[in-house]
Amino acid sequence: MGPSARGSPESRLSRRWPSALVGPGFLVLAAWFLYGPETVLVPAGEPIAVDSRLLSIAPRRETLGDPPSIEVEGVRRTCVECHALFEPSVETPKRLLMHAHVRLDHGINDRCRNCHHLQERDKLVLHDGNVIPFRESQLLCAKCHGPTFRDWERGAHGRSNGYWDRSRGQLVRLKCSQCHDPHTPRIPAMDPLVPMPGPRDPRADRGVSTAPHPGAQHPVFRLGGTDSGGSPERMEK
Amino acid sequence: MIPDNDQPLPNDPAAGGKPRVTRRSFLRAGIGTASGLAALAAALVPLKDFDTSDLTLGKFLQRHYKELGPAEMDQVLQRIAREVEQRYGVRPELRDLKPKDGVEFVYALHLGRCIGCRKCVHACVQENNLSRLPEMQYIRVLEMPRGSVDVERANHNYDRPQVPDPEHYYMPVQCHQCANPPCVKVCPIEATWQEPDGVTVIDYDWCIGCRYCEAACPYWARRFNFTKPRFTHDANGAVIMNPNMNYLSNRPRKEGVMEKCHFCLQRTRAGRMPACLEVCPVGARKFGNILDPESEVSQILKTKHVFVLKQELGTIPRFFYYFDQEYPRTAGCLPNEGYGDAFPESDGSGDQGRSGSALQGAPA
Repeated sequence: MGPSARGSPESRLSRRWPSALVGPGFLVLAAWFLYGPETVLVPAGEPIAVDSRLLSIAPRRETLGDPPSIEVEGVRRTCVECHALFEPSVETPKRLLMHAHVRLDHGINDRCRNCHHLQERDKLVLHDGNVIPFRESQLLCAKCHGPTFRDWERGAHGRSNGYWDRSRGQLVRLKCSQCHDPHTPRIPAMDPLVPMPGPRDPRADRGVSTAPHPGAQHPVFRLGGTDSGGSPERMEK
Repeated sequence: MIPDNDQPLPNDPAAGGKPRVTRRSFLRAGIGTASGLAALAAALVPLKDFDTSDLTLGKFLQRHYKELGPAEMDQVLQRIAREVEQRYGVRPELRDLKPKDGVEFVYALHLGRCIGCRKCVHACVQENNLSRLPEMQYIRVLEMPRGSVDVERANHNYDRPQVPDPEHYYMPVQCHQCANPPCVKVCPIEATWQEPDGVTVIDYDWCIGCRYCEAACPYWARRFNFTKPRFTHDANGAVIMNPNMNYLSNRPRKEGVMEKCHFCLQRTRAGRMPACLEVCPVGARKFGNILDPESEVSQILKTKHVFVLKQELGTIPRFFYYFDQEYPRTAGCLPNEGYGDAFPESDGSGDQGRSGSALQGAPA
C-alpha cells in the first residue's frame, strides 16, 4: 500500500492527460461548429429567368394567305386588285417596280412565271400548266424537291406542332413556305440566335478539356479517316 | 484526529468503501460534461434551419405511387396542390395522368437540322418547373467537331455570338427513356421505374436521394436537387411557374431527390407534343407513338438512317438520332444503271474489263 500502490506522480499524469484533453477538445469543437467557416451550397445571387420571348412556337414566316394579300399604302389588297390593271408581261428577268423587297435566289428556278400564273395572279402554276391555289403551294415545291416533299409528307422534314394523338387534337404540320422564303429558300446559315447559358452544376463546371481524348484515335470514332487494312491493298494483290 | 499517512484516501477503491466525490473530480467531470453538451448543442445548430412546416403526417405516411388507390391518390394530389399553393402562391392544376394502352413514346432527332440554339433547353426549364438556382437543365446540347461522333470531344458549355458554327454540329442529349434502363436497376427502393408507355419516371416522394441512378446513367440524364429549388419572380413578385402539373413529371421537387426528363408527361399523356419539340425553330425534333405505324416517328425509323447513342451498352434507348440519306442524285446510283454492269447476270467469265481492272491479275 502507500505511494507505491497509487503510482508515481509522473505515471498518474500520463494516465490522466488524454481525459484532461477531452473537455477543451469539445470546447474547441463547439467553437468550430458555431463560428467556423460556413459551407455554402447554394450559389449566391438572383436566379436567371427564362426569356419567354425567345420561346415562341409560331412559324418562322408569315405567309400571304389564300387568296394572297399584301399591304399597299396601309390598305390590305389582294393580287388581282392591282394586276387587273396591268398587262402581264412575259419578259424576265425584269426590273420590278413593285415587290422590290423580293430577292430571287432559287438556283436555276429564276423566272417569276415558273411558279406564278401569268393571268390569274392569285394562283400558282405547275410546270405542266395545272393551276393550284396558294394554300397548296407545297405541291408546287414538290415538283422539284421530290424527296424532301416525300419526307415532309411522312413527317421527317419540317416542324409539326400540336397533338401527336390525332384523336385529341390537330397535328399542325408547317408548310414549306412557313419556314422557307420561296424566293430565297435557303434559311440563312447564321441566324443570330444567342445561345442560352449552359447548365451550371459542379459536374458541368469542371470544364471540358480541349485535348483530344485517347479514344478519339480509335478507328470506330473516326468517321472521316480510312481504317488500316482497308480494301485498296487487298484488291491489288 | 490527525490522519495517518498510511490510511487510504477517502475515494480510493482499494479501501473497499464507496468512492466519494472530491472537488477536483467534480470540477473535472463537470467541465468535461458541460463542454461535451456545448459541442453537441453546437453540432445540432443546423437543425434550426430544418423546415418542418412541410412535414405533415399525411406526407410522412404516404405510400408508394403504385400502391396508391384512386381515392388515396385524390387525397395526395389535393395535399400536394395545397402545399404548392402555400409555398409558391401558384394554384396548380395537378393531375395524375395514366399511360394509355397501345402507346409507346419514342423521340427522334434530326442531327443534320439542329443548330444548337438551346431553345429546347429553356423551353424545358420553363415547362417543367426546373430550379433556376442552382440552375438545372435536363437537356444538354453537345457541340461536336464535324466528322466525329466522339462525345469525349463534345462541349456543352459553348458560348458563341452566333450558331451554328460551321466547324461543328450539335447533338442534344436528354433522358433516352431506355427500354433496358440501368438507372432503374440500381434503385434500392424502386423509387424510379419504367411506365408501360416507355417513360422512366420518379416518385419524388419516395426517392431517398442516394444518387445511384445518376451514377448508373451512361447519358448523364439525371439531376440531383442539392438544395431546395429556387424559381424566378415576375414584376409583381409572383413565382413564375407552369401550373399544368402531373404527379410523376413536373410538380415541384424538393431538396435531396433526383429528377430527369420525362418526355413532358403532363403534355404528352394528354396527347400534346413535348415542350422542347414545339419550340424547335428548325423542326429537328420528332415525337410520337411507335406502336402507330402511321406516326411520324414510325415513318422516320422506317425510312431514315437512324442511330442511338452508346448502342454498345445495350440500354436500348427510345431516343433516336437520324439524318437524311443520300438521295440517288447521280446516274450511277440509280437502280439498273451503272451497278447493273458490276453484277452481271452471266457466270462472270466475260465483261471483266468493266467490273474492275484491279481483279484482272488475280489467280484463277
